[in-house]
Amino acid sequence: MTETVSQQGVRDAPTTGKFEARVRWLVRHFRKEWQIYVLMAPMIIWFLLFLYKPMYGLQIAFKDFSIFRGIEGSPWIGLEHFQTLLGNDQFFRAVGNTFIIAFLSLAFAFPVPIILALMFNEIHHRIFKKMAQTIVYLPHFISVVIIAGIVINMFSPSTGVVNNVMGMLGLEQVYFLVQPEWFRPIFIGSNIWKEAGFESIIYLAAIAGVSPTLYESARVDGATRWQMMWRITLPSIFPTIVIMFIIRVGNLVDVGFEYILLLYQPATYQTGDVINTFIYRQGLQGAQYDMAAAAGLFNAVVALVLVTAANALSRRVSRTSLW
Amino acid sequence: MGSFNLYSRGDRIFGVANAFLVTLIVISTLYPFIYIIAVSFSAGSAVTSGQVTIHPVDLTIAAYKRVLSEKLFWTSYRNTFIYTIFGTIATLLIIIPGAYALSRPQLLGRRFWNFFIAFTLWFHAGMIPFFLNMRDLGLLDSYFGIIIGFAGNAFSIIILRNFFESVPRSYEEAARMDGANDFQVLWKVYIPLSKAAIATVTLFAIVSRWNGFFWAMVLLRSEEKIPLQVYLRKTIVALVADEEFASSLLEEVYSFETVSAAIMVVSIIPVLLVYPFIQKYFNKGILLGGVKE
Amino acid sequence: MSAVTLRKVFKRFGPVEVVHGIDLSINAREFVVLVGPSGCGKSTTLRMVAGLEEVSDGTIEIGGRVVNEVAPKDRDVAMVFQNYALYPHLNVAENIAFGLRLRRIKKDIITASVNDVAATLGLSELLHRRPADLSGGQRQRVAMGRAIVRQPQVFLFDEPLSNLDAKLRTQMRAEIKRLHRRLDATSIYVTHDQVEAMTLADRIVVMSDGNIEQIGTPMELFLNPINTFVAGFLGSPPMNQLEATVSYADGGPIAKVGSDIAIPLPELRQLRNAEGHPIIVGIRPEDTAVERNGAANAAGIKCDLDLVEPLGSEALVHVSVADHPVVLKTETRGAISHLSDVQEFFVQPDHIKVFDQKTGLALDHPEVA
Repeated sequence: MTETVSQQGVRDAPTTGKFEARVRWLVRHFRKEWQIYVLMAPMIIWFLLFLYKPMYGLQIAFKDFSIFRGIEGSPWIGLEHFQTLLGNDQFFRAVGNTFIIAFLSLAFAFPVPIILALMFNEIHHRIFKKMAQTIVYLPHFISVVIIAGIVINMFSPSTGVVNNVMGMLGLEQVYFLVQPEWFRPIFIGSNIWKEAGFESIIYLAAIAGVSPTLYESARVDGATRWQMMWRITLPSIFPTIVIMFIIRVGNLVDVGFEYILLLYQPATYQTGDVINTFIYRQGLQGAQYDMAAAAGLFNAVVALVLVTAANALSRRVSRTSLW
Repeated sequence: MGSFNLYSRGDRIFGVANAFLVTLIVISTLYPFIYIIAVSFSAGSAVTSGQVTIHPVDLTIAAYKRVLSEKLFWTSYRNTFIYTIFGTIATLLIIIPGAYALSRPQLLGRRFWNFFIAFTLWFHAGMIPFFLNMRDLGLLDSYFGIIIGFAGNAFSIIILRNFFESVPRSYEEAARMDGANDFQVLWKVYIPLSKAAIATVTLFAIVSRWNGFFWAMVLLRSEEKIPLQVYLRKTIVALVADEEFASSLLEEVYSFETVSAAIMVVSIIPVLLVYPFIQKYFNKGILLGGVKE
Repeated sequence: MSAVTLRKVFKRFGPVEVVHGIDLSINAREFVVLVGPSGCGKSTTLRMVAGLEEVSDGTIEIGGRVVNEVAPKDRDVAMVFQNYALYPHLNVAENIAFGLRLRRIKKDIITASVNDVAATLGLSELLHRRPADLSGGQRQRVAMGRAIVRQPQVFLFDEPLSNLDAKLRTQMRAEIKRLHRRLDATSIYVTHDQVEAMTLADRIVVMSDGNIEQIGTPMELFLNPINTFVAGFLGSPPMNQLEATVSYADGGPIAKVGSDIAIPLPELRQLRNAEGHPIIVGIRPEDTAVERNGAANAAGIKCDLDLVEPLGSEALVHVSVADHPVVLKTETRGAISHLSDVQEFFVQPDHIKVFDQKTGLALDHPEVA
C-alpha cells in the first residue's frame, strides 16, 4: 500500500538528475500506475497488429513479392513496380478519375449540406422540422450495397422508373449504367442523396450556436429573414464551413470506392475506375500484390500529403488544429 | 385592426417557399424507398413493363416468399447479427479502456501514444498489406477475423478521450479517496458519466458493422459465413447471371427486380426499427466527434 | 480523531515551487481553516493532506503516522469537493454509500449507516432522488454525507460553499459548524472567504504565495494581525492602511500623513526615538467614529467626504485622508443625513495598528522580535 495518487503525474517526474534516481522514479511510477497500462494494452496491441504491422508489409511495393516466399523472403527490386505503374494506362486513368471525381464531389456535393442546414433553420414549425430532418438523415444509415441496388433498379434500361418516366415524356431511353458519361453524375448525385442530410447536422449545430440576440437586434433594425440568413447565419457558420472544406480537401482521394465498386462495370471503367478500385482488381482479384501495393502506397502518400497540408492550413485559418 | 403579425409579407412568402422546397427535398429523399417498396410488392410483369412508379401494381408477396425461402438469406442475416453484436463489443472493449488511459495525465509518453493512435487517421498501409496481414494472421474466412480485425477505431478513441478529459477531476479524486482503483474509477465513474459519448461511438460501431461489406466480401470465402450485405451484393449484382434463377422466372410472378427489391426492403427493416432510438444520440454524437475531432 | 502535522512541506510542479516548506500542527478535533487569495497554495496543501498530490519534500503525519507514501484511500480522511463530485447516475443513497460499497462493507450495515447519516443531514426524504433533482444546498449536504458516512479521522473541505448563493452559504456555514460540534472530528477547511474563516474556525491559517502568514484564533488574527497582509485580508471591509511617517507631538507619537494630517499613535516601545520612520497606520473601519463622543480621548482626523453607502443599521462612509482613501463604518440610527457633512473622524490611539512600511510587520506583535 505504498502509493499515492498524483494527479500531476508526469509533472512530478525528475527531468534531470541521476540515471538511478530516474529509474527509481520509474519503478515507483509503474508500481502505482500499472493499471492504466493494463487498460491501454489491448488497444496498443490491436493497433500494432492490424494497422502498424501492415505498414511493415508495405515493403512489398519494392519487392518481387510472392506469397510462397513471404514478405521477407522476396527479393528487392527497387522502383520497378512504380515504373510499371507509370507505363500503365489503366493506372493513369484511375489517378485521373480519382481526382476528377474528388473535385466534382467537392464542387457539387460540398455546398448541399450547407444549403440544407440554412433551409432547415428557417423552418419554424418544430414538428415539421424534426420530421424533415429525421427523414433526410435516414439514407446515411443505409448500406452502400442497398443504395447501389436502388440505383441499379431505378436506372435500369427497360424496367427502371427513370427510363419509364422519360419514355412517358417522349424521350429516348438511356442505359445509364453502361454509359461512361453518366457514371459520374449518377455516382455523385446518389452520394448527395445519401449523405447531404446527415452532413447538415454539423452546420445546424453551428447555427444553433449563434446568439439569438443577433437576430433580435437585426429584427429591431428591420432586417428581413432573407437578409438575416445572408448577413447573420451564413457569416456565423463560415468558420465551420472553412473547417469542413479543409477536412474535405484532406480526404480528397478517399472517394468512396466501395460504392464505386458496386456501381461500375467494365463499360464505365473509363470514367469510374479510381485508384482503389484499380488496386482491388489488380491486387485482390488479379493477385498482383506487389504492384497493387505500390499503387496503394502512392495513394496513401498523396492522402498523407493532402491531410498534412489541410491540417497546417486549418491551424492557420482557425488557430485550432484538427487533431 | 387585424391581428398583429411578427413577420412582414415578404418574410411570410420566404417562409412558405422554404417550407415548400424542404417538402420537395423530403419527398425526393423518400421516393427511392417508396419506389423500392412498390416494386417489391408488384408482379414481375408489371415491373418489367414499366408500370410501377409509386404504388405496387398487381399486388403480390411472391418476391418476399422467394427471398424468405432462401436458406442463405437467413444465414447471412444471422451472420450480420453476429458480426454486429460481437464486433461492437470488441470495439468497446478495446477503445473504452484505451481512451481512458490516453486521457490520464499521469500516463508516461502520453503525447507519443496519442500520436500513435492519431497517425493511423493520416496514413494507412492500404488494402493489399492489410489483406496479406490478415492472411498471415490466419484470419481469412473466419468469424473471428471479421470481428477482431476491424475492432479498433482511432476516430472513436479520440472522441472518447476528449470526453473523458472533460470530466471534472474531482469525480475521480472523490472516488480515489473512497478507495477506488483505476478499473473501478473507469467502470463506476467514467463510463456512467460518459454515456452520451459511449452511445455515440457504439452507434458508429453498429452502423459500420451492419453496413460493412467490402472486407467481408474480400476476406470471407465460405457462403455460410457471409453477412447480409455480401449476400445482397451477390444477389443484386449476380442474380442476373444466375441461369437457374433466370429459368425459374419463366413460370413465376416475381422477377429479378422484385426479388432484389424485396431483399433490400427486408434488410433495411432492422435499421428502420432502431433508427428512432439512435436518432436522439447522433445529434449529440456528431457534435462530439464533429469538427473538433 | 487524529492530529495532523505538516513538517517543512514543499510542493513543486516541475521547476515551479508553489508551497515553500510550511509547518502546521493541527490538534485532534480541531477545526482549522486555511484561508488566502487564490493561488496561495491552500488547496494544494489540502490536497497533499488528502493524498491527491505528492509531497515534494517534508512530511505529513496523520494520527502520528507519516502518510507521504500512503494512498488516499488508506489515510482515513474524507473530502468534500467544491463541485461536490456527486455522481449524476447514482441517487442520493447510492452516492452516500459509494465509498462503503467500494470497501465491500455488508449491505445491511451500509443501509443503516446511510440512513443514519441521512437523518443527521435531513436527507431522509431525498434518498431516492438523483443529484440533478436536488437544490444547491441539498447537493452540498449529500457531499457532506458522503464524507461523514465513512467516519474518517480527518475531514477535508475544499471550498465547499463557494458554489452556493450568499444566503444559502450563510445557512450551510452554520450547519457545518453545528455538524463539527456533533461529530467532533478534526477538520481542515479551505476557503478564500474570510467571513467563512472567521465564523467557522477554531484556528485560522492565513496563507499567501505558498507561505503561512499567521496562525491563530479568529479574534487573535482580527485584533493582532502580524502584518499588513493579514490585516488587509480579515475583516469586512478590511483594515484601512495609510502610509505615514513617525513624528511626535505633545510628548506622544503621531503619524504624519501627507503634509498636514496627524494621527495620534499608541504609546509603543517601538515608537520611541523613531522620528521619520516610515510606517503604515492600520485603522479598522469599525474602530472609527464620526462624532467625538464615540471616542472620548481621540483626536479628530481631517478628511474629505467622498460618498456614503447605507447598509441599513450601519453605513460605510468613504472619505479621503490626504488623498488616501479610507472607509469608516458607523451606525445610522435610522438616518444618514448627519453623515452628509462629515469633515473629520475619530479613532482611539489604542485601536490603531502600526506596521513597518518596509517589512509590513506589526511593530508590537509578540512574534516580531
